[in-house]
Amino acid sequence: MTRPSDVKPREGDQPASLYKDWKVGAEFPPLPFTVTPDIVKEYMSVVDADPKNYVIDGRQAAPPNTLFVYMMAVMYRLYPPQQGGIMLGNTVEFHSPIWADEDTEVIGSGRVTDKYEKKGRKIICYDVDFKRPDGTMIMSVNHMSAFPE
Amino acid sequence: MSNDKVEKTIPQTQAMFDNYGKLNGDNDILHYDDAFAKERGFRGTLGHGLMYTGYVCDLAAKKYGKDWFYRGRLKVKYVRPVCPGDKLVVTIEPDGAAKCQSQFDTTLVGTASLA
Repeated sequence: MTRPSDVKPREGDQPASLYKDWKVGAEFPPLPFTVTPDIVKEYMSVVDADPKNYVIDGRQAAPPNTLFVYMMAVMYRLYPPQQGGIMLGNTVEFHSPIWADEDTEVIGSGRVTDKYEKKGRKIICYDVDFKRPDGTMIMSVNHMSAFPE
Repeated sequence: MSNDKVEKTIPQTQAMFDNYGKLNGDNDILHYDDAFAKERGFRGTLGHGLMYTGYVCDLAAKKYGKDWFYRGRLKVKYVRPVCPGDKLVVTIEPDGAAKCQSQFDTTLVGTASLA
């Protein structure tokens, strides 16, 4: 089992990356982790998910967005977080299910896609892809956040 | 797939922010420190954007069924904060328009669709 907190650098624990440190095109190191039934159960409880909405051909699937809780860990491995970041938006695509009753090996990877300043805000955009070890895409995200420094 | 409007109401509490943060490992004090959040100009601590995105995803899974897992597409923008005490109404309209609305403001806008 991989709890996101096991692999995500915590804000304030190490010197934070600043806006000037981010490089467009920089690749995040691959992050392997395991989603377990316990994680799925806990995730469903914290997002008020109804299990009935996640049944595929009679089998209980996990919310595909369970992987959200690992997203920032992928990015933060290259750029340790700073306090006060504000999430601005996400574009998400789901490609294949993960199941609630089995362990799922996942590899997260990604890259910085853009950075710019707008109305005094320092904005960072990045992609994260989550795939099974055989390369099957599970979920992809394009993310946008603003950071204070 | 349902062509109906889907909606649910989820009152927000600090405990909910804490429980989400405990799972995802988020230690950003904007989610936990009321005084810090107010110094930054917010009404209070901020709910995790991906937490209430999860609320939208739950309704999208209900609306689109099996297809959501294979070709679901969600685009959201976080336009206003969610704070403890907010009564958050989460909606997906028949055309896929998604919204989170508190008693104070619209907090999230977007679309949930199939590719």
